[in-house]
Amino acid sequence: MKKFLNSKNVREFIRILLALGIGLSLGFILTLFVSEEPIEAYKAFLTGPLSRLNRIGDWLEESLSLIFLGLAATIVFSAKQFYLGYEGQMILSALASGTVAIYFPAPSAIRIPVAFLAGIIVATLWSVIPALLKAYLDANVLISSLMMNTIALRLFEYLLRTFLQLPNTNGIMSEQIPDEGRLSSFIPNLPFLAETRAAWSKATNVSWMLYVAIAAVILAYVLMYKTKFGYEIRAVGANEKFAKYGGVNVKKTIVASILISGIFSGLAGAHLVMGIIERIIQGMGFGFGFEGINVSILAAGNPLGVPVAGLFYGYLRSGADVMERSSDVSRELVFVVQAAVLLLLTAERLLPTVQQVVETDEAGEKAEPAKGSVK
Amino acid sequence: MNLNLVLRSIFSTFFLASVIRICTPIILPSLGGLVASAAGVSNMALEGIMLWGAFTGVFVSAWTGNVWLAVLAGCVVGVLVALILALAHLKFGSDRLLAGLAINLFSSGGTVFLMYSLIGEKGNTSTLASLSVPNVVIPIIHDIPILGPIVSGHPVFTYLAFFLTWVVYILMYRTRLGAHMRAVGENPQAATTVGINVHRVQYIALGISGLMAALGGMSLSMAYLQMFQREMAAGRGFIALAAVRLGNGHPVGTMLSAMLFGVADALANQLGSMNIPSQLVQSIPFITTIIALAVFAIQKRRTEIERRKKYSQQDTDELAVETE
Repeated sequence: MKKFLNSKNVREFIRILLALGIGLSLGFILTLFVSEEPIEAYKAFLTGPLSRLNRIGDWLEESLSLIFLGLAATIVFSAKQFYLGYEGQMILSALASGTVAIYFPAPSAIRIPVAFLAGIIVATLWSVIPALLKAYLDANVLISSLMMNTIALRLFEYLLRTFLQLPNTNGIMSEQIPDEGRLSSFIPNLPFLAETRAAWSKATNVSWMLYVAIAAVILAYVLMYKTKFGYEIRAVGANEKFAKYGGVNVKKTIVASILISGIFSGLAGAHLVMGIIERIIQGMGFGFGFEGINVSILAAGNPLGVPVAGLFYGYLRSGADVMERSSDVSRELVFVVQAAVLLLLTAERLLPTVQQVVETDEAGEKAEPAKGSVK
Repeated sequence: MNLNLVLRSIFSTFFLASVIRICTPIILPSLGGLVASAAGVSNMALEGIMLWGAFTGVFVSAWTGNVWLAVLAGCVVGVLVALILALAHLKFGSDRLLAGLAINLFSSGGTVFLMYSLIGEKGNTSTLASLSVPNVVIPIIHDIPILGPIVSGHPVFTYLAFFLTWVVYILMYRTRLGAHMRAVGENPQAATTVGINVHRVQYIALGISGLMAALGGMSLSMAYLQMFQREMAAGRGFIALAAVRLGNGHPVGTMLSAMLFGVADALANQLGSMNIPSQLVQSIPFITTIIALAVFAIQKRRTEIERRKKYSQQDTDELAVETE
């Protein structure tokens, strides 16, 4: 048992659970203050996503977006780069792949891959400026990437309004993506699954991006832990100077880590437009890009933890939507909970109980045999 | 586009007056960012603290009907939020950047959450009868043509911003506390050995930065506009950090850099009224910030190379002396 508790991963896991517990309790306390029916509201928040098939679908859809963005952030954070431009990358990717999906006259088998490619390329290119500025001039990447986000939002709105706007509507939106450009259900089109497929397709848009997300998690894991490139990224993240002396090209690694993340934020954008919303609309980012960062922190920087963290935050996110619709509490509660969890997780000395208990045990164990040898 | 028209409008009194008005909510948080950076604890949560300041000012002014009480409340909340950051970083060992992000998330979500709970709105508080601070009319100067409209008649916060630039200068370079802050920022170990309580100094620095950022936020919600809007800081907290860098950590330099961003902002407003896509024009301040970061980085690198050259020159000189 002690050995089990001693393992670093287990300790980290308990710490994360504690942080989540405290965060959710804080959320409940806030609900008590602001709501007429706090119990009902919080129940909707915590159990809402499971209450209906379409809500389960919403949960999975949002989680997929968060998983892609969480992977992007995980790779960049592994190199200790505070690049935060995922939101901008994602919406420009959505714009690019959405445009291809709407206007490129080709059958699905060509149209969709081209749309993906367009999204990924645009997302990657959008990160080039902050990446180069950071690597070669040591300009603050946090500020420059946030500025790029704001510019991306403006550019998105401009391009959408000027070139893609659907005439005769009030909303700022493009026309709908035709069937050839949409992602089909994650349930394969097989005779014995036909009924389930029909039921799911009717209620939700969960698409085969589910499998792409699983593949992306494995890809990110292999990239980070089984390749030289991943090793170099982690070396730079652990100690830049050391990595340099060890023969790592630090500048190239920093640029590459940020550019590679473009693949994942590009996928997030393509998924958003072709899998969820099925047209390009103003404000389609929903702040997913910033939540990807939280997912990455909750996953403690491990690609294999990202799906778990993504599903969890996706759950809270869709739970908050249900709560807002069925009670008097606003969905922004979820950001307060996430902020509390983030703060608790980063505070290394705040949740030391587990660590302390284990460490005193450890000291005791070591001390005893020493006494024995004196006897 | 008629360039002549653009130029003429840029060099108008109206434009200069609008620069001064618009740069206020950048100068104030910049000064806060400067104090925190000088003490070695660069404050990434300025953006979020601005939101809390703006939010508190609006609601307290609407409830109490007293502007000054509202400003005071906004300042107190700003300092408290900054102290959460200080506590997380200094006492509990949080990474400063991540803790800053957490505070920003807490602020953008928390203000909307509270706004909805209090008045049932999510976008802005236009339904609330909140107050704005009075404008200051400087006697005599106000009646001078050209100069009067540019310099006089702005909200209190604008004059406060320039006054606080001077105060921060005095604080940093003429007081014991300022000297301690700079010592801590330069080398915390050395500061400890001469008996400076590093954490105490950093707590104070972050507290001051919270105060300034809150004032900046209120200059948005109680002067620039007369309401709170969600996300109304709109990146100014981060632009302020860029201004600190560009100003090389000096109060006057920082103020001038903040004004540069004010010019970009005012230019965007000005061009927005002409026949140019407003979304592109609105990007000008953010593009300016990125360029400014790059310029600062190049500058820094140059001085570093020069310094290194100087030292290596000294080294070889010393070696020469030794071998002699």
